[in-house]
Amino acid sequence: MPRAIRGVLIECEPAIKSIIVHLDSANNDIIIEDLDESHLVVKENMVHLLKQKLEDRLKETYRPEEPLADSE
Amino acid sequence: MPPKRKAAPAAAGAAKAGRTSAMSTPGPATPRSLDSSIMSEAEEDFDEDVTEAQKKREEMLGQEADEFVNSWALSSNRFQNKGKDKHYDAATHYFGGGKRDFSDLKLKPDYKNRPLWIDPLKGVIVLERFNPLAEQATDFLTTIAEPKSRPTFLHEYALTTHSLYAAVSVGLRPRDIINTLDRFLKTNLPVSIREFIESCTQSYGKVKLVLKNNKYFVESVDAEMLQKLLKDEIIGKLRLHGTEEVTTSYAPTMGGLVIPGTQNAAGVHQANLRKAGKAGESGEEGELFATLNAEEDDEDDKEAVHAFEIADVNVEQVQKRCLDLGYPILEEYDFRNDEVNATLDIDLRPNTSIRPYQEKSLSKMFGNGRAKSGIIVLPCGAGKTLVGITAACTIKKGIIVLCTSSMSVVQWRQEFLKWSNINPDDVAIFTAESKNKFSGNTGIIVTTYSMVTNNRERSHDSKKMMDFLKGREWGLMLLDEVHVVPADVFRRVISSIKSHSKLGLTATLLREDDKISHLNFLIGPKLYEANWMELSQQGHIAKVQCAEVWCPMPTEFYDEYLKASSRMKRTLYAMNPTKFQACQYLINYHEQRGDKIIVFSDELYSLKQYALKLGKVFIYGSTGQAERMQVLENFQHNPNVNTLFLSKIGDTSLDLPEATVLIQISSHFGSRRQEAQRLGRILRAKRRNDEGFNAFFYSLVSKDTQEMYYSSKRQAFLVDQGYAFKVITQLANIEKTPDLAFATAAERRELLQRTLVDNEKGTEEDVETDDLFGKVRGKKKGGAWGNGVRRTAGTLGELSGGQDMAYIEQNKAANRGLTKKAQKAGQSAFFKKIAREKERSRVGK
Repeated sequence: MPRAIRGVLIECEPAIKSIIVHLDSANNDIIIEDLDESHLVVKENMVHLLKQKLEDRLKETYRPEEPLADSE
Repeated sequence: MPPKRKAAPAAAGAAKAGRTSAMSTPGPATPRSLDSSIMSEAEEDFDEDVTEAQKKREEMLGQEADEFVNSWALSSNRFQNKGKDKHYDAATHYFGGGKRDFSDLKLKPDYKNRPLWIDPLKGVIVLERFNPLAEQATDFLTTIAEPKSRPTFLHEYALTTHSLYAAVSVGLRPRDIINTLDRFLKTNLPVSIREFIESCTQSYGKVKLVLKNNKYFVESVDAEMLQKLLKDEIIGKLRLHGTEEVTTSYAPTMGGLVIPGTQNAAGVHQANLRKAGKAGESGEEGELFATLNAEEDDEDDKEAVHAFEIADVNVEQVQKRCLDLGYPILEEYDFRNDEVNATLDIDLRPNTSIRPYQEKSLSKMFGNGRAKSGIIVLPCGAGKTLVGITAACTIKKGIIVLCTSSMSVVQWRQEFLKWSNINPDDVAIFTAESKNKFSGNTGIIVTTYSMVTNNRERSHDSKKMMDFLKGREWGLMLLDEVHVVPADVFRRVISSIKSHSKLGLTATLLREDDKISHLNFLIGPKLYEANWMELSQQGHIAKVQCAEVWCPMPTEFYDEYLKASSRMKRTLYAMNPTKFQACQYLINYHEQRGDKIIVFSDELYSLKQYALKLGKVFIYGSTGQAERMQVLENFQHNPNVNTLFLSKIGDTSLDLPEATVLIQISSHFGSRRQEAQRLGRILRAKRRNDEGFNAFFYSLVSKDTQEMYYSSKRQAFLVDQGYAFKVITQLANIEKTPDLAFATAAERRELLQRTLVDNEKGTEEDVETDDLFGKVRGKKKGGAWGNGVRRTAGTLGELSGGQDMAYIEQNKAANRGLTKKAQKAGQSAFFKKIAREKERSRVGK
């Protein structure tokens, strides 16, 4: 019997896709289908969580906007 | 003019209201309404239609208002001092929640002609470089404050206790500092800053420790201060008996002292021919600078100094006690009156002339005719060595030079012979290989930090040599590259070798661990720091174009990167094939232009891989001395060898004036110092004075990795020095490069596999640390390193070839494929997913 899952198509850079795949590999609960280098279908209910996780991950890579040295 | 007349009573009414409200509760809103009342009064004067009675009433009101304004201003002052409340308006909260609203600092009427702003809370001074007075202000600020950031138009300086200490140590008095600062400021000098300057300068530099005829004297301009010290229970006892009176003499002046190599010296040497030129030069230096040094130049203005003697052994104790009391002792060496230590016959060669900024830095050191201890900061390639040698030629006593590696020991000796007329026998070298002494009764010793601080067993020769070093008194201790040496090493050096004065030389006075402040006490204050941009504009160092090249990671590499350990991550982003291609492209491009290229990599594995693949020469920690020399020589003179790969051993003290391009493929995390030191390798480019010449500094960065973060951090120092980094996201026509490496996906995968397998063991490369200090230490321990004999722990199987690398690699890769990853890694994502779903449905049932 065919199953239907609500999904969201994500288009992103290969590097971001890699990160998402890496996040998914923990318990395989994010990705529905891995389409190609820059496209993915993910579960709709996970999008919010995914965004958050991605944000955290990118903080390691990019320097957050340096606050002014003298701002309180 | 009816509207005006109408406005007047209204304004007066407002004033009234403002006054009454102000009297009950002095609020910040009142002055505005009062202002308007004053204004309306002024307008009223031109209005002739007003009745006499009304005029009188308004005059009265005006007087009342004036009185109130005055009282309010006072009270506002009080408020401000308490820090509770101050000027507040609608925009205030945009400035750090009101804390950085300095609008209550009133601008002077001619503020446009003055170049400085000041932050009264932090002591940060902002200088407008485009202001006509900027030159003079810069001179002044480099003396009293520390440069924070110096881009093209706005410079930032910070007023700190140490910088004020340094200012006092070059002979500035608090009065001069406050007056001059006030003269340059757009606003009035804030009270807090004035108090800060006064409190700092009062305690600092008042007491001096002077070595005269080999006796230590505590000296002060202020007799009261000296009495205070003598009454102190500890210092009083330490005073040498038999010298009951406090002796009074006159402070020496710069008068007769000539720093060799300066215009002044040239004038003396060449029958005063250049005197006129010198006068013109010093005139250019600006009125301000002249006034700053007035005490030194003006021979009539002699100051009385008071001193008492203390015994040699107690010096340390007195120093500590004075620090406790809040009067740190300043050390000075009156070398011209030192008859005990033999004078060294050394002078700069007559054709040597030192550059203006070198002269300026030395004049800070010899400001009052005595040698002060301190640190001089000059960019790499700006002639730090010559500054050191000139200082040596000025003092003309026994000199000890400490550098970081045996390579730079040789270079220092050569420089001494090149720039000065010293007898070659008088310059001795003390390293593991050679332990010479100079022939005469005084001379120069060049050695490394690790040689003199080594605590372990020494060979008989070096022990004898150390005793010799410890037993003497040295006139000057030159400390090369002071920033690299840990503070405890310094303490050991300074305690074991007695020297009258110490001069530290460095390009980058910063450490990631912020231990730099220790140097302030161990060596002395920062005497001078040069402006990189200014020097490159004057052609003393090369102009550099800096670029950051972003190299995207191929997907397969990035996947591995995400899974890898932190060490493997570093290897992976260094081995990024896109980066490799960029490196290849840049090397090709610049070799065609006839440039000489240095490629830096901290990662030994990638260094070797890159160099071998591209067929270039490379040097790293365990490259033998002879091989190094050969490679360097070829790089310098052989037109076929244009590219050199270096590990971090090349970061400092390596002098390669041929190099004009620098490519950085991997680096030490976020180290700002390393970045600056590496840039220094190309600053001294020989061809820098060619028309339109530019040196190039490329930093290759793997996109979306931690390298991006580190890279932006590393650049901070250079950006503060005024360098701008361009970001290159795409190199034009890179795909047309002949023999482009790793062009196909298959090759990239192969590279990835090889990298992973080769680095499986990981730590193997790490053992061979090529840290400058590690290497030298290892050398000594081995003792026989030079002969190629080494002692290592190992198994017998190793000797029989049973642990052959090739065998292990093959085996490992095969094993891995067979065992743990067999089920998982072998399958495609599709089958894995099917398997997962099956599993799930089984569990569900």
